[in-house]
Amino acid sequence: MDLKYVGKDIPRVDAYEKVTGTTKYMSDLSFDGMLWGKVLRSIHPHALIKSIDTSKAKALPGVEAVVTWEDVPGLNGFGIAIQDQPVLCKDKVRYAGDAVAAVAAVSKEIAEEAALLIEVEYEVLPVVDDPIRAIEPDSPKVHESGNILLHTEIRKGDIDKGFDEADLIIENTYYASRQEHAFLETEDGIALIEEDGTLTVYAGSHYPHRDQLQLSRCLNMPVEKIRVVSSPVGGAFGGKDELTIQPIMALLALKTGKPVKMVMPREESIISYWKRHPMIMIYRTGVKRDGTLVANDVKVYADTGAYASLGGPILNLALESSCGLYRIPHVHIDGYSVYTNNGISGAFRGFGVPQVTFAMESQMDIIAEKLGLDPIEFRRKNILKKGEVAPIGHHITTDVESEAVLDAMEGSRLWRERERYRGTDKNRPWIKRGVGLALSWQGMGLGVGLPDFGDAVIEMDPDGGFIVRVGCVEIGQGAMTVYAQVAAEALRFPIERIRVVIGDTRNAPDAGPTTASRAAYVGGKAIFLAAEEMNEKIKGYASGMLSVSPDEIEIDDGSAYVKTAKDKRVSYEEISSYAIERGGLPVAEGHFDLPTADKAIEGAFGLPHHIYSCCGQIAAVEVNTLTGQARVTDGAVVVDAGTVINQGGLEGQSEGGFVMGTGYALTEDLIIENGVVKTPNFSTYIIPTSKDMPSSIETIPVTNYESTGPFGAKGIGEIGMVPTAPAVTNAIYDAADIRVFKIPATGERIYELLKQKKGENK
Amino acid sequence: MKEINISLKVNGKQYDLSVRPNMTLLEVIRDELKLTGTKESCGMGECGACTVIMNGRTVDSCLVLAPQADGAEITTIEGIGEKGLHPVQKAFIDEWAIQCGYCTPGMVMSTVYLLDKNPKPTEDEIKEGLSGNLCRCTGYAKIIKAVQKASKMMQ
Ligand code: FES
Ligand code: FES
Repeated sequence: MDLKYVGKDIPRVDAYEKVTGTTKYMSDLSFDGMLWGKVLRSIHPHALIKSIDTSKAKALPGVEAVVTWEDVPGLNGFGIAIQDQPVLCKDKVRYAGDAVAAVAAVSKEIAEEAALLIEVEYEVLPVVDDPIRAIEPDSPKVHESGNILLHTEIRKGDIDKGFDEADLIIENTYYASRQEHAFLETEDGIALIEEDGTLTVYAGSHYPHRDQLQLSRCLNMPVEKIRVVSSPVGGAFGGKDELTIQPIMALLALKTGKPVKMVMPREESIISYWKRHPMIMIYRTGVKRDGTLVANDVKVYADTGAYASLGGPILNLALESSCGLYRIPHVHIDGYSVYTNNGISGAFRGFGVPQVTFAMESQMDIIAEKLGLDPIEFRRKNILKKGEVAPIGHHITTDVESEAVLDAMEGSRLWRERERYRGTDKNRPWIKRGVGLALSWQGMGLGVGLPDFGDAVIEMDPDGGFIVRVGCVEIGQGAMTVYAQVAAEALRFPIERIRVVIGDTRNAPDAGPTTASRAAYVGGKAIFLAAEEMNEKIKGYASGMLSVSPDEIEIDDGSAYVKTAKDKRVSYEEISSYAIERGGLPVAEGHFDLPTADKAIEGAFGLPHHIYSCCGQIAAVEVNTLTGQARVTDGAVVVDAGTVINQGGLEGQSEGGFVMGTGYALTEDLIIENGVVKTPNFSTYIIPTSKDMPSSIETIPVTNYESTGPFGAKGIGEIGMVPTAPAVTNAIYDAADIRVFKIPATGERIYELLKQKKGENK
Repeated sequence: MKEINISLKVNGKQYDLSVRPNMTLLEVIRDELKLTGTKESCGMGECGACTVIMNGRTVDSCLVLAPQADGAEITTIEGIGEKGLHPVQKAFIDEWAIQCGYCTPGMVMSTVYLLDKNPKPTEDEIKEGLSGNLCRCTGYAKIIKAVQKASKMMQ
């Protein structure tokens, strides 16, 4: 097919507004008579609430409302999977940052002052902060039901037999840190009551329709009376998947009848909201002398913090990918997601997979070295292909371009020329350089047993252009641009005259969450299907206007014509007038159900997935042996992307993912001690700056046509950061002969490892 | 708190305002003047999202108190492309140097200042010049390309 828009160099459709500062994020909105909201949060990680006294706060001039649990009209609980998190705590707080009360006042300052006047009496409880200790029966309990949110155990083959067959067994324990999303727009927004009584909530998130549902439960209001607008978002990365400030703002708006705005200060945002799960991962891997993997025994403890949110599904996605994309006959996987008082963990780009990939790909590197095998050869020998049985026991029935990804890694410039990036720096002999790689895979979409669909609507507008409506959101990934490209291509219509409306429960149909790398794939496919229906309608009108049968009509570039007589044509402007005269402009709908696996894995909710993405990365690093500081100098990203809809967009996701992954590998550690966050700002929680950026990041797409996706595309949003950390730590090993078992590999940690190694060598 | 009078010129327009003395320049710009292109992200000088040009130099407007801006001349993102897009803005669009866009106004302002002082910066000088502006989405690669492109366009 001759493509005009898909795969072409199309600028972002939202770029003009973004470079001129005219994009209105939810944090930029304001309304007349608006009040400011402020939350009072627990300073204790674990405590009983004995009493809450709001009288002084209420008496402060300028305060218009103070709300506590008593003001929650519906279910005082939210959570995507399990609703165990109170909107406002009643008798117990479970992390330092838990919301206890909130104020609406005429100014920010008065709201802040009033919040401090609320008196809460606590009885402090022992802090549960070690996930392994927390599952012991005598541990203090975060929830009455016990501290295990989810335990999943998967067996395949006979693990003991597998280890009997092994010539080499490698056992190690890995630790992955708690990562902060550090989106630049914190959790901000406004809630207000419309004239007709509708509650409108403006707050950036991944899924306005689910926010609407959750709000309706908490507020005891029908969904039709609630409108949620959640796009554009100033960055999210999973951190705005769950509710944040929405229910509290809504309570204050309902109580006062006025618009209430809230803007999370950075520290409050970091302390109070979602993080990537820290994990402890114990791996025992058995392999034959010739490099055939035979057994993998995996134990994972995920620290889910105080409330459930997506802790269960995250654990299971991690476990699905925990053995890598390899053929392993004997597998035992045992995972726990554990409640603690360590903040709250939730969705984050990669959804549990970066952690286990760090562990598994470190194991692979260690084994390859011990057996004297080339790391790519060793992976190729064990790589899982379509039709084979995955580590958790299901058949892979869709294309996962594992071998092509390995080939492309091997062929990449960075790998071919790796000798140039290795060894001691001649001018600075304290700098050791090395190159490492890692491979990863991840299920796309929500998984088996979960409704996973997307709807889209296309309307012709009165001047013959189109409005495309999809419920997904623009979190920066370029969804609007992809949608415009897919619509323009499928409608064969100029992209400039297509307007994309997304992220609004009133003006766009439900397309599911903008997560799990599914927005381009599902939303795009629903648009494609709607466009096909629209094209049929247009042909119908044109056939009436040109007095020929619809099959004789062809459409292109905003006009419809008779195939055999191209000068007999009508423009879309004419069609729209014609349609208006005959009862209305055409509207078309598309519905797409994401294909899911036909058989579930027993005891592992949501598993398996059906479509997978695959990504391999190579990193070149420099280790300063005097300071311990490591730096990533170059990178290569190979990603199985299906058809590339927009090269600029793909590179952006890949570069952004890679750099975020280097932060995860080297510096990012949200430290919580005794339940208290120690790194609540950007001078203590260190994310990469422009100076940390590698000199080059090469993006190499493996473009296999994904038959179910729009024009053959599949999702790539998450996988871009999944293999980065192990690629970096494997490179550190190559450079300085030290093995990193705990990320981030900070200067201090590397320095310690170097010191230990020196001691050993003496 | 007793309000004080300040007058300042923002994007060529004169404003006489009565503000609380503890108000930041960022609050004046966003909340009083409703110029919401300038963003708040950290509120403590750590991210550069609030960057504006004040008396010819970039500042983190969250760190400037309103009284300090009395008599100042300020340019915000809304003020740099009066005759159509500024070349820096154009280069950011062309190079896909934008994702969520929340860092973009600050990045653009820092780039405008950088190229004003140093019209042909090396890659290291660009990285240095933008090191006070955090971006969580792009990984900076395309932003650096955009700066290089803008520098060429402005020769
Ligand atoms: S908001 Fe001013 S530097 Fe971050
Ligand atoms: S584009 Fe999102 S922070 Fe830079």
